[in-house]
Amino acid sequence: MSRPFPYTYISCPCADTPVPDPARKRRSRESPQKSPQKPPPERANTDQDKKLSAKEEEQGEDEDEEQTFDPRSPRSNFSLYPPEQLLYCEECHQIKCPRCITEEIVSWYCPSCLFETPSSMVRSDGNRCGRNCFNCPVCTAPLAVSTIENATGNAPQQGPWVLSCGYCLWTTLDIGIKFDKPTNIRSQLQKMTDSTPPAALDRSRQASRTFEDLKHPLSSYASIDEQSNARERDGEQAAPKEDQGAPPMGMDARFAALKNFYRTQISETSNSPNDHLSSEFGFSSPGALNRLMSLYASSSRLSGLYGGSKKPKSKPPVMREALTASEGLQVASENSETDMIARLQSPECGWDGMASIDQRATQSPDARFIDDLLPLPVLLRTKRAKRCKSCKHILVKPESKPQSTRFRIRLIALSYIPLPTLRPLAPSSSSALPAMAPTSDLNSLPPLRPIHILLTLKNHMFDPVRITLATPPVTPGRVATKVTVLSPQFEIGANSDVWDEALQGASAPLTSDSRSAALRGVPEAGKVWDKGRNWTTVVLEVVPGTLPGSSAEGGDGNPNTETNDEDVLAVAASRQDEDVLEIPVFVHMDWDADAQLDQQNVGKGSKPDDKVTRELAYWMVLGVGRIQPSL
Amino acid sequence: MPPPKTAKGEYIETDTGNKISRRSQIHGTQHIILGGKTVIQAEAVIRGDLFRTATLPTDPNNASAAAAPNPSTPSVAITVGRYSYISKSAILRPPSRLHRGIHSFYPLKIGDHVFVGEGAVVEAASLGNHVHVGKGAAVGSMAIIKDYAYVLDGAVVPPGMVVPSWCIVGGRPARIVGEVGEGYGVEGAEGGMARERYRVVGRT
Repeated sequence: MSRPFPYTYISCPCADTPVPDPARKRRSRESPQKSPQKPPPERANTDQDKKLSAKEEEQGEDEDEEQTFDPRSPRSNFSLYPPEQLLYCEECHQIKCPRCITEEIVSWYCPSCLFETPSSMVRSDGNRCGRNCFNCPVCTAPLAVSTIENATGNAPQQGPWVLSCGYCLWTTLDIGIKFDKPTNIRSQLQKMTDSTPPAALDRSRQASRTFEDLKHPLSSYASIDEQSNARERDGEQAAPKEDQGAPPMGMDARFAALKNFYRTQISETSNSPNDHLSSEFGFSSPGALNRLMSLYASSSRLSGLYGGSKKPKSKPPVMREALTASEGLQVASENSETDMIARLQSPECGWDGMASIDQRATQSPDARFIDDLLPLPVLLRTKRAKRCKSCKHILVKPESKPQSTRFRIRLIALSYIPLPTLRPLAPSSSSALPAMAPTSDLNSLPPLRPIHILLTLKNHMFDPVRITLATPPVTPGRVATKVTVLSPQFEIGANSDVWDEALQGASAPLTSDSRSAALRGVPEAGKVWDKGRNWTTVVLEVVPGTLPGSSAEGGDGNPNTETNDEDVLAVAASRQDEDVLEIPVFVHMDWDADAQLDQQNVGKGSKPDDKVTRELAYWMVLGVGRIQPSL
Repeated sequence: MPPPKTAKGEYIETDTGNKISRRSQIHGTQHIILGGKTVIQAEAVIRGDLFRTATLPTDPNNASAAAAPNPSTPSVAITVGRYSYISKSAILRPPSRLHRGIHSFYPLKIGDHVFVGEGAVVEAASLGNHVHVGKGAAVGSMAIIKDYAYVLDGAVVPPGMVVPSWCIVGGRPARIVGEVGEGYGVEGAEGGMARERYRVVGRT
């Protein structure tokens, strides 16, 4: 989602601490509190000389780690976020971006019917909606249950029912599926697609169990040969049983059969008493590892090390593979591939009859043609709580109900850091700067012509905040745009009371009206432009640079109309978005907060009245607009 | 042909603070409820005339059943909440559905702080609060867009789709492609610009 101009992004400081090295982390946690006191002069573009000289001394030591943030560097892509996506950790006193949090699932819900699914059900049945929610296998739009019967009037509607897509007009009739009831479609569909109904599944399970019983006396094979003999014998016994017309299983049934088969195999072939593979815990239990270890260790010299001498040396029993269809074996038919190719070539299939890769990706691996596509039960979504990665403090906890949009906990950065908004200062006719270009179109800023931009910072905290802004005098990158913050130091009032806001609501539009503000005249250095209860507006003077290769570059800035426009465009396009004017701004804020149970900060700046000075500093990027290729 | 510019300005401001462009096309005004401070820009089309008709008494024994609930409730075609913004050439049309062989319209409910982009076509059953419908998007019939959902520019939300809260949908047909941040909808930030948008309308 790219944003229209003007936009503001905020850089999360986590990008500067890439390695989770504890020593580094400690240092970095301190640094945002320490460094802002001395923004290095190369970016402190203030016109206050005494400040400059004071900072000059500290430049040397900071130089290696304090660098101007470059919004164009490839790395900054990973640290810049729109303000509303950032969180704030009250323990670490730091901005937290999506990269420095961990998530945990609060609840699962279907995005279509907005019903919550218990997590136990998700574990057993998979993360798809078990109700009537399906997506179109052709276009992914949601499917609606509708009747084919043209029922009019009050008569109770009767089936048969189909699922139909309102977007591409696909219906389940296209694959020959109708439903008897409009409810519980998922299980109806499952019955239809698994051609072995549950009863048959039971039968096959039974079959394999009796099969096991048959085999049981032979179960501890001494050698592979013996086992293969047994397999032949078993196969002979099994083959006639299965050939009596069991239809091929569906994918799910086959998976269930295979799973069942392997489970019994494991329980059969396990020889150690403490082997609990067949138990509920399955393959991932520590017993599984045990068994594997003993399998490999018994044949090697290592067995001595692991107490192999205790047991009599015997070859471990070998697991066999599924042999019959009831066990989940599916023999590839001899000419299935040739049949498929023939079908692909036939005129009635054609390109349109084949499923696309996107469609096949969500279907069973055998699906090749449009006819093979089945409606997809809707994937569930989650509501997630978010925790700070470093201190495990919960930052966001939504209510678990899917329909609710409220949060139990929501520590968003916007409640702590001032909300930046950007607005070009419209030149009024009475303006004393006739040279200023009309700034209405931010998508084509004329180069070398100064424009004024209003930056409003709105405080959401209940304490007044002191802000220091700093920008590099010239933006980094090939397009050198000069930027001056006319009043880099200012205060923002507290977000004192909700009632104040409500009462002031009526008068607020008047005070912040751009025209009334414009009456104040020209933007002056060292003065804030406008100020409200909890917001302050300052002016940035920006002189857009010239694009490399554009006519105005070099020389003395005289417009050279003879330049080839195509050249200009080619050069401008050579580096993508180089004409985008983005200004890095370093924001340092400090405020007196109530001292909480915060031991670490008390020593530093404790004041008599239980107030603690808090500091926060971060980079922010102002996207102003695009610079015209030529004058 | 646009009417000549009147001295009164482009927008009519109602008692409840709605700003309605003189160049918008609003049909069936008695079936439309605007919650106040709503902006309707030029060339927007609002079809209040497509309300649910009292009855279609094709069947004598049906007429009594269908007519009963209707006289008590005045047929409202479109409800719009406060601080909602209908951009230029957007179309709001109540959804319709073929139910038991009768094609009938259903009300379109739009919540507070909703933004409908330029040229968008909305036929949803409901748009929640703080919903953003991008430029040129189409929201299909009977779709339900929950609070704080974001429909990207040019998306086509298929008929009957439900977009959960905080989700971003885009594409044709629209799919859920992401989620907005937790701070979405905070006053003055992304998703919370409705008051600001309302304020600047008609001040040129």
